[in-house]
Amino acid sequence: MISLRMSKRRLSLTVIAVFAIVAVFVIRLVDIQLVQAAELTKLADAHRMQTVTTYGTRGDIVDSNGVVLADSVDRFDITASPRNVSADGFDRINKDGSKTKISLADAIGEIADITGADPVALDTALTQDPTSDFVYLVKAVKLDVFDKVKALNIPWVYSEPHPARTYPDGAVAGNLVGFVGTDGPQAGTELKQNSCLAGTDGSSTYATSADGVRLPGSTVVAKPASDGGTIALTIDSNLQWFAQQTLAQQAQATGSDWGTAMIVRVSDGHIMADADYPSVDPNDRNSVDSSSLGARSFSTPYEPGSIMKPATVAGMVDQGLVTAATQVDVPSRFTDGLPAGAYIKDAFAHGDMHMTVAGVIMNSSNIGIAELVKAQNQKEGLAASEKARYDNLIKFGLGSKTSVGFGGESAGTVKTPSQVDTITSFTQQFGQGMTATSAQIASLYQTIGNDGKKVPLTLVDSCTAADGSVTHPTTGTTTQVVSASAAQQVREMMETVTTQGSLRNLINIPGYRIAAKSGTAQVAANGSYGNDYIVSVAGLIPADKPQYAVIVTLSKPQTLKTSAAAAPAYTTIMKQVIKTFRIQPSTTPAPNIPVAW
Amino acid sequence: MSAVPAIAPRPRRRPEEAPRRHLEVAPTRAQRRARPRLLPALVTIGGIGVILIAQLLLSIVLADGAYQISSLQSAKHDAVLQQHALSEKLDLLASPQHLAANAEALGMVASGNAVYLDAKTGAVTGTGTSAGGSLIGAGDQVGNALLGGTALVTANPAGTGTTTTTDPSGDTQAPTDTGTGGAGQAPQTPGLLPSPTTH
Repeated sequence: MISLRMSKRRLSLTVIAVFAIVAVFVIRLVDIQLVQAAELTKLADAHRMQTVTTYGTRGDIVDSNGVVLADSVDRFDITASPRNVSADGFDRINKDGSKTKISLADAIGEIADITGADPVALDTALTQDPTSDFVYLVKAVKLDVFDKVKALNIPWVYSEPHPARTYPDGAVAGNLVGFVGTDGPQAGTELKQNSCLAGTDGSSTYATSADGVRLPGSTVVAKPASDGGTIALTIDSNLQWFAQQTLAQQAQATGSDWGTAMIVRVSDGHIMADADYPSVDPNDRNSVDSSSLGARSFSTPYEPGSIMKPATVAGMVDQGLVTAATQVDVPSRFTDGLPAGAYIKDAFAHGDMHMTVAGVIMNSSNIGIAELVKAQNQKEGLAASEKARYDNLIKFGLGSKTSVGFGGESAGTVKTPSQVDTITSFTQQFGQGMTATSAQIASLYQTIGNDGKKVPLTLVDSCTAADGSVTHPTTGTTTQVVSASAAQQVREMMETVTTQGSLRNLINIPGYRIAAKSGTAQVAANGSYGNDYIVSVAGLIPADKPQYAVIVTLSKPQTLKTSAAAAPAYTTIMKQVIKTFRIQPSTTPAPNIPVAW
Repeated sequence: MSAVPAIAPRPRRRPEEAPRRHLEVAPTRAQRRARPRLLPALVTIGGIGVILIAQLLLSIVLADGAYQISSLQSAKHDAVLQQHALSEKLDLLASPQHLAANAEALGMVASGNAVYLDAKTGAVTGTGTSAGGSLIGAGDQVGNALLGGTALVTANPAGTGTTTTTDPSGDTQAPTDTGTGGAGQAPQTPGLLPSPTTH
């Protein structure tokens, strides 16, 4: 009986022990599989899985012909692990299997020779903190240099990719393209169109074997990288280079502060070239001072002067107030309605002259414009005519930013009827007492060239996403500013500037009908007009059916203080426009409209 | 072992009457089924062996493929980098500054006004002018920091203005970046269009 009881107790103890052990295992299992599961999986993955960042490439900026203006390129940072650097050097295994002893100094010398880095700086970086695992040796080297460094087989040298941006055409359209700094896009199209250009980095993980080889089929893309889109500008890079070169030569020859040259396709408002002087080379931002990092043609408003007159006259022709043949009595100075002592004069001294409205444009007579304004005031009343003239300038796009919306763009200023004083009421109509940017003036000439239809200026033609889808940025709506016949009449008046005006020998191009207008605007300094001028010449070719508008502006030329300073550059650029776009010579002569009576 | 009890046969006749016949117990179907069969066992074991070996081989091939994929991917990556580097260089060489400088180094000048010939009427429109001369005579005003140190092509002094189509001396120099021409290069006469000799 005792033995039976004993064996029963043993049995129950055994069963309890077995259950206890099973319970411990179950608890541990639950702990591992459920409670700590996430943590342990992470730990395991960290040992087994590799996570890599996949870089989305920033899109290119190209011109209208696909020429690359801004390009994402591969650069490499050469890094090192000072912890692994041995002062005794290392054994280099040669191709034939033999070993060569390379001392630390030799290794540093080899890197310095290839990369052009300072060996002393390399030595300092490597030895300053021997416990560190990471230092930069040389940043952003090109592939050929990187390959040579890699071929040195130095055990403590590592590398990491360093995506960079270059501008293969340098300063060609540098003002428009802008640049990317260390903190991302800084200026120009790079900044404005960043949402299209920027790629997004992704990441993927894969399992590796003990020797670091990727296990097949183990790659999991956590987040796909997407490349940025390509921005196509409306610019023609060759023409842009030519315009920049010509403008810079003329600006230097005349001692000008700055200059702009713009070529606009009349039919669609596409900017074919927009040159600035001085112009930044995005590869070397220190090549110019900070005021020249952007596009002056958009950012810098100035009093445009007489180059504005076609807009005023177009408005008056459109309202039926005048025609090209309307006779104007032009005295030697204009004082009517001005405060005592104030007067308006012309650039050249003259006695009483009999000009037609075409003659007013040809002679660029300020007094003539003032007489037209006076006549309008008398006919329609001061308030109504004041408003009509203001509305006309606003409709031409003055006083508001162009549709390009370039970074730092200025809207210029046009004084409202309630803001103008007695003198500005007159002078604003010939471009003094108001300001405009070169881009606004270009848009004005596009409007006159396009039979009065103002098409929004366009600099960015399209964004082509990485998947091939193309979007065209919205630029605004086309508006009819003046009637087609008013625009045509003004163009005919402007043709007299080319055929009979004082600049005719400088701006006439044989075989072509060109409607042109010059401007010589006084620059206000410290509240009064000084002895400096902003000079400009604008032209439409061919005058009878314009295809392109060309506007050249120089600020404060020193050797020659009239629009004749800008004329040679204007003509050279116009000839290049003819060649580039194969504009055929005119088949009809310019109309012979009277300029005097 | 057998589940069926063996029943001893009862002699019906006397033994001396007829020779005693050999009798055997017929196994039941269940007995026949229960008997271990060698062939299927061998096939099964062999099959498992083959599968194991195949799996091993497959895994070796896969692993080898993984190394190959890895090395090809790395080669592709290198090739892509190379392509990027070359297209970067090409874009730079195609920049207007570089083209203009090279063109002028070769003695080219800008053309004059464009003149048009109407193929139908034979009429010429436009006013021709003499060549425009140097565009960058006063220096290229449009900077390109990347171009520093990029060599210009060299002009071909022997070929310019000559009418010979061969140069037996072989010292004409091809306009290449490196500037290393020399013997053995194809002689050439820039400026001449290939045309038949007519009388």
